[in-house]
Amino acid sequence: MSKKLQAPLTRREFIRQSAGGGLGFLAFSGFAPAFLTQSAYAQNPGPERDRPILVMIQLGGGNDGLNTLIPFTDDNYFRLRPNLSIRDNIHIVDDHLALHPALGQFRNLLDQGNLSIIQNVGYPNPSRSHFRSTEIWETASDSDEYGTTGWLGRYLDNNCSGTPEDADPSAIHIGDIIPQSYLTDQPASIFGMRSSGSFNRRKSSSDMAYETLLNEPHTEGSPSYLQQTMMNTLVTERRVETHLANYKTSVQYPSSNLGQSLKRIAALIHADMETRVYYVSQTGYDTHAGQLTKHAELLGDLANSMAAFQKDLKANKRDDQVLTMTFSEFGRRAAENGSAGTDHGTAAPLFVMGRDVKGGILGQRPNLNLDPKEDLQYTTDFRGIYNTVLDKWLQADAQQILGNKFDPIPFL
Amino acid sequence: MKHTRPTPQSLPVKDAWKPLPLSHWNTETAAHLLRRIGYSATPSKVKQALNGPISKTIEKAFAPDKPLQKNPELSKFENEFFERGTQANRIKDPEERRKAQREIRRESDHLFRQYAIEWYRFARDETNSPQEKFVTFLHDVFVIEQRKIREPFLLFNYEQTLREGIQLNYPDLCKRVSREPSMVRYLDLNQSSARKPNENFARELFELFILGEGNYTEDDIKEASRAFTGYRIKKRTEFAYYDKIHDPSPKTVFGKTGPWTGDDIIDLAFEKPTARTYLIQELLKFYLTDDDLPHPDYIRALGDLWASRDFNLRFLIETVFQSRLFHHPAYRGNLVKSPIQFYLGLCQDLQVDVTPFSGRTLHSMRTMGQNFYNPPNVRGWLYGQNWINSTTISGRRQLVDYLFTPVNEKNLNGNDRRALKAAREKGHANFQVTSDRLGKLMKLEPPALADHLTTYFITALSRETYRPAIIQLVEQNKDGKPYWNLRNTVIGLLQSPAYNLC
Repeated sequence: MSKKLQAPLTRREFIRQSAGGGLGFLAFSGFAPAFLTQSAYAQNPGPERDRPILVMIQLGGGNDGLNTLIPFTDDNYFRLRPNLSIRDNIHIVDDHLALHPALGQFRNLLDQGNLSIIQNVGYPNPSRSHFRSTEIWETASDSDEYGTTGWLGRYLDNNCSGTPEDADPSAIHIGDIIPQSYLTDQPASIFGMRSSGSFNRRKSSSDMAYETLLNEPHTEGSPSYLQQTMMNTLVTERRVETHLANYKTSVQYPSSNLGQSLKRIAALIHADMETRVYYVSQTGYDTHAGQLTKHAELLGDLANSMAAFQKDLKANKRDDQVLTMTFSEFGRRAAENGSAGTDHGTAAPLFVMGRDVKGGILGQRPNLNLDPKEDLQYTTDFRGIYNTVLDKWLQADAQQILGNKFDPIPFL
Repeated sequence: MKHTRPTPQSLPVKDAWKPLPLSHWNTETAAHLLRRIGYSATPSKVKQALNGPISKTIEKAFAPDKPLQKNPELSKFENEFFERGTQANRIKDPEERRKAQREIRRESDHLFRQYAIEWYRFARDETNSPQEKFVTFLHDVFVIEQRKIREPFLLFNYEQTLREGIQLNYPDLCKRVSREPSMVRYLDLNQSSARKPNENFARELFELFILGEGNYTEDDIKEASRAFTGYRIKKRTEFAYYDKIHDPSPKTVFGKTGPWTGDDIIDLAFEKPTARTYLIQELLKFYLTDDDLPHPDYIRALGDLWASRDFNLRFLIETVFQSRLFHHPAYRGNLVKSPIQFYLGLCQDLQVDVTPFSGRTLHSMRTMGQNFYNPPNVRGWLYGQNWINSTTISGRRQLVDYLFTPVNEKNLNGNDRRALKAAREKGHANFQVTSDRLGKLMKLEPPALADHLTTYFITALSRETYRPAIIQLVEQNKDGKPYWNLRNTVIGLLQSPAYNLC
């Protein structure tokens, strides 16, 4: 590999370092001035830096809410779950509710006032299909309405379009597939990376050939858009890789996918990336059988990873800038099934973590006076939570993005 | 090399859809045609096309009777599906019942992946590529999702209907699609009855299949949905119509009142003016350009022509693909290839087979943003620039890397090993670029090599600038590792912006 092509960190460097000195590029490229100004600007911390950041954690498969936030004084809970109810080692939060034994770290976060729990969150006419219900949560649509853009995608459309081309990605997700929440109407700058290991493609001896050809001119329209995006990708990959390699933290994260993903996100936030939204998934919550052990592992990983993340943000003095929120496509059936598990259900609690949350438990407890075949009836619409996040945290026009007015939930 | 787009001054509307003059039928236009109706323009196919007139290439490409064969395993599963499901549901012990149901689901998922690989293989065959690309276009009009349908044989049958639809008038295809079990399930016709009509299908019929958004009223949808009642799926496998849940009373749609049936509604929709232009707009977006045509009269003129031929799809195909407008020089290197075209075009350009490992192939397609039979939602894939973001670009580059990196067979899992064995038996196991294949190109001097690569892999738009860069790349360190120089140059070219466009 030729020396002059090593790891430029902005597109300007990339062009300057490449064969031909980049002057030829400037001569034909109509978009050069925009990103040149931007990269000059990007070197100094500007107002972009202090904007709020949202981290979404998807609990894939449908998290069992009743064994997450346990109504330990409700006889109905024990009636519906003769084998699956949990009474020992729970972390009592108030007169009626306790956290699962594996959620000790959430208990600490509650004590520090850094965690809000919103109870019994769902939506009207719930779907019990994983894919459909996930789609409803990610598009924030009614259950009989088929949305085509994600709620965060609409936020990106409204608030981040027209971002200069050389800026950092507006949204980053961990994993190979773009989450539905990010689906936009306008092409948007979205970046995906892996949770561990080499964060993207492996370096290859063919990279130089690619970069040389990438520098060849392409005129307006799709070709130039494609070229810009490819250059941005390359530059972002390198920038991200450098940020990750340079990141030192004394906080111990779990070695799980979730833990390592959050560590990477902390590194990028610490490095002042302009990215406003991050998205990471933890999977395995579809506990139809043998739930107790599996669920405890998942919740332990969730609480420990989130607590490590918050601690790290605090140590870096970024905790004022970041809000972290969980969601799951549905909760599970109130009654246990015959395989020591639970089937697809409806409402469940949701966690919001951050320095600025009000803390404590909000919303109404679910009514468990149910027949074993019946489902929980939600009491808080998830879109009310999105409303608060968009309005109070991301300072966006919540009603426009959600297409409707939803009662905000006072956790911020 | 950039050409300005056609305007009614430079290309009169009355001439736009006339056939390309013979004098313009050359390597350039033949390559353009092949890349747009299929996935690639390999030297032998370009040569073959130029042996006859343009009309012959198009006629052959869309000739009927090229079905994808249903795998016997899939047929067997289809025939036994209802009975097996019924038996499984009758099992008393819940644990045993779940096990039986899981087994059916597992087999179904396996057959779906097998069908996916078989489709890629079928479409990769250059004889079938134009037909299958058009099927993909129809998939993007008549969107359904595997996630909701699940049964692989229903998906297979649905696709076969779309394939046969190429030979039909478009209104007839719409009617056939409305009776496909997959569509009946996807848009909830099976939940709709005279007592409780469901509007989902009627809305998408107008918005996505025939007229486009805004060309109907909410009342039209409400009334039309009453006509689409009585549609059901029998034995979870076939379409059935039940008169007793159909609403026979009068409905008023587009201002016309009568006891309309679903088919009547489709006919009424085709009387609306935008029925003439909506599909053509979609077709041009898919095949020609992201941008609107410089003047709406072009599409109106073609729409009138198409309507006068009873909305015959073959007529539309043959008119568009040999037209002067379609071959206008402004439309070269302007369209981002879809992931399917990117992958199958690579296979054709490099003369390799579809990778038989379903996990890897399907994952690659998903990463590039075109998950087999699973578009993001009812709107389908958006095509063009929407394919492009850093996640999907990394996916495309990775795919090229895969095709040049030998697989260590010792590391394959059981499924992949079986798939490889089966592919070898069928003679489909040549799925990577090997050094002896690439070595043949090394006999060419750098300028000749650059000509060869830029002629067949990319369009004229980037040829002038890429050519010297390629010469420079293959000439450097020439005494060191010439083979690696060549290999890396080809990889770089296949990952470059120009190769991602057609």
